[in-house]
Amino acid sequence: MELLAGRSGWPSILLGRAATLAPDAGIEAAEAAGAWSAWKNAVASIAPDALIASVERSGLRGRGGAGFPAGRKWRAVANADRGQRYLVANGFGADPGAHAERLLLERDPHGVLEGLALAAYAVGATEATIVVRAGSGSAAARLRAALAAAEEKGYLGSAVLGTSIRLSVTVRELAGSFVTGEETVLLRALEDRRAQPDQRPPYPATKGLWGRPTLVQNVQTLAAVPWIVTHGAEAFAATGTPDAPGTILLSLSGALGRPGIVEAPMGTTLRDLLDLAGGATGTLKALLVGGPTGGFLPAASLDLPLGYGTLTEAGALVGSGSILAVGSETSIVELATLLTRYLSDESCGKSIPCRIGLRRLAELGDGLCTGLCRPTDEALIRSLSADVRDAALCGLEAGAPNPLLSGMRYFADEFAAASAGGSAPAAAARPGVSA
Amino acid sequence: MTDTLPAKADPSLDAVTERLLTTQSPQRPLVTPAFDVEIDGRTLSARAGQTILEVCRENGIEVPTLCYEPKLPGFGACRMCVVDVEGEASPPISCSREAEPGMTVQTQTPRLRQIRKTNLELIFSDHNAYCLPPCQNRCPSHIDIPGFLKANTEGNFIESARIFKRTIPFPSVLGRVCPAPCEEHCRRDEVEEAIAIRDSHRYAGDQVLKAQAAGMKAPVPFEVQPASGKRVAVIGSGPAGMSSAYYLAIAGHDVTVYERDPAPGGMLRYGIPQYRLPKVEVLEAEYQGAWDLGVKLVTNAELGKDFTVSDLQNQGFDAVVVAIGCYDTNRLGIPGEDADGVIDGLEYLRIATLGLPYPGHAGTRVVVVGGGFSSMDCSRTSVRQGAAEVTLVYRRDMKDMPAASEVHEMLEEGARAIFQAAPVRVVTDAANKVTGMEFIRMALGAPDASGRRRPEPVPGTEFIIECDRVLLAIGQGPELSWTSRGADGVNASKQKRLAADAITFSTGRPGVFGTGDVRTGAATVVASVAEGRRCAYAVDAYLQGMDLEAIRTRQTLAEPQPEFLSIVPYTGETKQPRIRLKGMPIEVRKASYVEYEIPYTQEEAMAESGRCLQCTCEAIGYCDLRRQGIEYGTTLRKLEPGRDGTSYRSVNENRFTGINHDYLRDDSHAFILREPARCIDCGRCANVCKEVVGAACYDFMRTGFDTLVTTPLDMSLNTTPCVSCGRCAETCPTGALMPKPRVLEKYEVDESRCILCGICVDACPYDALRCGPDFELAHESREEPMIDLLAISSIERDSELSYVRRERDWLARARAQGRDIPATRLLPMLPTGVANGNGNGTSANGHGPRPGGGGGTHAHAK
Ligand SMILES: Cc1cc2nc3c(=O)[nH]c(=O)nc-3n(C[C@H](O)[C@H](O)[C@H](O)COP(=O)(O)OP(=O)(O)OC[C@H]3O[C@@H](n4cnc5c(N)ncnc54)[C@H](O)[C@@H]3O)c2cc1C
Ligand SMILES: Cc1cc2nc3c(=O)[nH]c(=O)nc-3n(C[C@H](O)[C@H](O)[C@H](O)COP(=O)(O)O)c2cc1C
Ligand code: SF4
Ligand code: SF4
Ligand code: SF4
Ligand code: FES
Repeated sequence: MELLAGRSGWPSILLGRAATLAPDAGIEAAEAAGAWSAWKNAVASIAPDALIASVERSGLRGRGGAGFPAGRKWRAVANADRGQRYLVANGFGADPGAHAERLLLERDPHGVLEGLALAAYAVGATEATIVVRAGSGSAAARLRAALAAAEEKGYLGSAVLGTSIRLSVTVRELAGSFVTGEETVLLRALEDRRAQPDQRPPYPATKGLWGRPTLVQNVQTLAAVPWIVTHGAEAFAATGTPDAPGTILLSLSGALGRPGIVEAPMGTTLRDLLDLAGGATGTLKALLVGGPTGGFLPAASLDLPLGYGTLTEAGALVGSGSILAVGSETSIVELATLLTRYLSDESCGKSIPCRIGLRRLAELGDGLCTGLCRPTDEALIRSLSADVRDAALCGLEAGAPNPLLSGMRYFADEFAAASAGGSAPAAAARPGVSA
Repeated sequence: MTDTLPAKADPSLDAVTERLLTTQSPQRPLVTPAFDVEIDGRTLSARAGQTILEVCRENGIEVPTLCYEPKLPGFGACRMCVVDVEGEASPPISCSREAEPGMTVQTQTPRLRQIRKTNLELIFSDHNAYCLPPCQNRCPSHIDIPGFLKANTEGNFIESARIFKRTIPFPSVLGRVCPAPCEEHCRRDEVEEAIAIRDSHRYAGDQVLKAQAAGMKAPVPFEVQPASGKRVAVIGSGPAGMSSAYYLAIAGHDVTVYERDPAPGGMLRYGIPQYRLPKVEVLEAEYQGAWDLGVKLVTNAELGKDFTVSDLQNQGFDAVVVAIGCYDTNRLGIPGEDADGVIDGLEYLRIATLGLPYPGHAGTRVVVVGGGFSSMDCSRTSVRQGAAEVTLVYRRDMKDMPAASEVHEMLEEGARAIFQAAPVRVVTDAANKVTGMEFIRMALGAPDASGRRRPEPVPGTEFIIECDRVLLAIGQGPELSWTSRGADGVNASKQKRLAADAITFSTGRPGVFGTGDVRTGAATVVASVAEGRRCAYAVDAYLQGMDLEAIRTRQTLAEPQPEFLSIVPYTGETKQPRIRLKGMPIEVRKASYVEYEIPYTQEEAMAESGRCLQCTCEAIGYCDLRRQGIEYGTTLRKLEPGRDGTSYRSVNENRFTGINHDYLRDDSHAFILREPARCIDCGRCANVCKEVVGAACYDFMRTGFDTLVTTPLDMSLNTTPCVSCGRCAETCPTGALMPKPRVLEKYEVDESRCILCGICVDACPYDALRCGPDFELAHESREEPMIDLLAISSIERDSELSYVRRERDWLARARAQGRDIPATRLLPMLPTGVANGNGNGTSANGHGPRPGGGGGTHAHAK
């Protein structure tokens, strides 16, 4: 996917270097553009605790979807019992509609590795794993090349920069369904165990890989850390919004003039984002914000700013940072059903309400699409959704009702029409989800 | 970096240690600090590291779980153990969440119950199995129907009869005369048509009779107990008395049957005609099974005339069972009832069953009044005895007839029927001889206070049927004059029946019990046999010295109320039509007393039994899923008619219907039976097998909705590293993994060859062998008869529904036999669509109902 230019004046925290460097530029070029300087600085003069304090002050939040404050997570790992600790960088990129992380790994692997080194140092982890989705093109190869170069330079490995610091890093390619990106599933997969989520708490911060305290952090989150070290926590906190500082990588797709990936500050409105992507090609009907477990927002909500609280309140998610523009020819009932069915199929099948409940939700959606539904089905979708969500084992199950629920919230007419006899508009048009 | 850590050799070692530690979780040291938590308003002490569930269990607070295995840490798959923790938005699961100081927990809020109920409903919506066979529940005696059908399928007919005899000693008799209420509720009807349950046990019973004729003894269902030294007198040798005698004899008591008639059998011998129930070949042969057990018979001995209850007790009988049936024919109470030519139907049949033609019956025009078994037998026997014209008149509709299944046979043999007409008077000539009978039409009146519409006479619709004889067959009541002498304490009930308790069968006089028609009023053979068996159990308990309360508890526990779960209706079965018994041609049978139904061939019997869906689960009684389903109200006490009006739905409406899985059973392992269709994917077996046993035979296979906990690639358990320890079956909360039923009589250790290696001691999962001065031998029978776990179902009148179904079946059969049935020949009530558009039944020529004599049209047009 194309990398779109942001507005002038927007900070470039994640992709600043990538925009100027050739994709396969070596470590020298990256270093010339600033890579690894924060790491050298930290090793020389910043104590782990001070580093954590700085990330706390920066207000950085996790970009893997939930937006959990990174500093708080680091502190939890650092305070967990002594002994072996691990770091796992989540670059799995579960959402098939989000391509930003892959782009980040391909274009600036050094940025991710540097952030990873800083985080590992801060929490006291000596072993780190970066997870990349198997078959995601050149991301793993570039990462491995960068890793080898960094080890060669002594930035990573058994005696980092001549000190006693050890940090061994491995790149693991994992295959798996959508749910593999969930942190506990990822950890089990790394242990070669059954790829199913575990109940949290205990969180990975206290009981993660091999039962040890583990920092699981999204690669995008990590990539922001060198910037914070270099420019200072306060400078970072001044970007984005007070509640969610910094920038985020967004994958804009669907019925847009120029689909692509953009780095935008948190707080940017949906309208601004669409403009950057060339605007809607036809009449915009809705935006699916946050990936398959995200929600539909109506065209009328374009002035909504990107933010964890604002989007959740509106029924969507920041999630994977993917935004799908849905044109007027697409049936929301069908698209919501398709997403539900996708999530049902991607479920690991461990939690009973997830395994059966999501399938039943998809079937209820099918009923609406085909007109084979009862007048009570919408109410049934609502009550089943509430029960499935409250009984949820992991985020997939909890988020899976979102497409249908947000659809019913903003496109009530369309659902009512479907409910009354399958006259869902544009029933013939199959939506293009993977645009 | 401040914190330098020792090199870690192998992270997986860590994992093993960790797993071992967590596996031991329930045995964590008891000296960890204790603190208080509040659960359901109680302040309880918890120790650090304990889960909320553990604290609850320790304090007797019930939280439902399905996936929790106490030997392992919480797994989190079933979400049944959700609890409410104050201050948390969504409820955590108590099997994983550790208790924390000051926590306030609720375990039973409406919201939690709703979540759990939804979980259960979802599970049941993909639970392609059935707990308890609706057929068995419907049978008044709760025969293990799937059990004997399975034995039939395997060609093991003697075993099949033996299973049958656990609840009813007479499979061949019932195979002929039972109205088969079980078939109305058969779940196979959801596929195409009910199993021929009655014809199937008839075949099995007949194989026993054949073997008996060749010198074998009839199979006995239970081990005969050693002689108890107690004596029991049973009065009456009908089905109720004889089944009492049979089970009492098996229980080790010395039983004598007293019978008024010269030969035993009651209504089976003197009521039901030979052409339906051959006396020598079937009745006597099957009764032989009781005599073989040592039951003694005294004939020509009438209670009240030849002896009294006191006499028997004075002679040293420890218990007396009164099972003398109903022999007082009801009277109509209309003018002309005493006329010459009005005959008691029972009297008529008694002579006929003796093989004697009733004097002067040939050539007469006969009217039979009534709608029960005897009215049918009177009509059909009259046809066989050469009556010129036979008309059956019944006050209500055909659907209300207890013997409606025979109506078509009767019509085909040339009798006719008039429904919804009530007798007004017998028309006589000057010599008080019958010349006809007057009736009046009945119609449903306005709904009464209870909303029921009762039939009422329609003024001005009187009509007369000319005839020479009237046979009264309007039912019987018990004859109770014997209670007035030598039977103090034995009384009549308000309904003029013998007053005896429905559960303990005790009359007001200690040691005297009443059972069968004499207690219930005229019913059916199967109901009487069931009565007789239950009475035998009550008497046995009495003879063991239990008091009435204890007997009541024992009897109630033996037959608890049924609960049907809202499990998916059956879907995945290929259609295979019912195999029907063929009848002799009408021309032959209407002149013959020979049994007119042609029995199955062996192939047919096996094929028909093979249609059974085996709606039964060995786990019933142990199944956590079922128990929780009942607790969370996903059940129904009774089956309900389905939407299409022709079947009983097996379940009430589950909110979540949708596609469901049907998996093949894995029967290949010697000790463990796998029924994946009953698996709820809780993962317990996989976790126990891997973490505790170390064999790892099971795991989650596939993803999404199709996930199933099974062996790799669903292969046979024999091809896994299974060590046959049975722990998976032990932990499985449902019937998906079960120890195979087997009868282990005894294992012998040949001590001359034992090298005392002790491997058996280590391997036995049940610690049945121990090292000691000598090895101890273990023997255990896992086989338990299911029968008495099942429920009493009330004996109800046939509903409209079963009537409709019978009509439909009859129509299908007639058409299959190539008989063209004009729509006009069908009786009304059949919904259009069932009989492709037949309308009201107006009369037609042929064997069917014709207009009644005296100008009446037959009276069931609606
Ligand atoms: C004509 C007819 C046909 C029937 N057909 C069917 C049918 O097809 N299917 C069906 O399920 N049911 C049928 N029934 C009903 C069924 O036969 C009875 O419900 C059943 O036989 C009752 O069993 P029982 O043991 O209680 O009584 P019974 O069978 O009547 O047995 C009572 C016994 O007690 C004896 N006895 C009576 N008084 C005394 C006394 N004072 N002293 C000593 N002994 C005495 C009698 O001689 C008899 O042997 C039919 C009934 C009749 C009348
Ligand atoms: C179904 C599901 C899929 C997820 N997929 C990803 C993913 O592909 N990449 C990712 O970083 N986080 C994913 N997450 C979130 C992770 O569980 C975890 O929260 C995250 O990796 C933590 O990093 P962060 O704090 O930097 O966001 C997923 C969560 C769920 C419930
Ligand atoms: S497993 Fe349980 S719920 Fe399922 S059929 Fe058997 S008894 Fe019923
Ligand atoms: S299919 Fe078999 S077990 Fe099920 S109701 Fe019919 S006869 Fe009974
Ligand atoms: S077979 Fe295993 S996974 Fe299935 S219900 Fe039984 S214990 Fe649970
Ligand atoms: S989730 Fe707690 S018992 Fe299943």
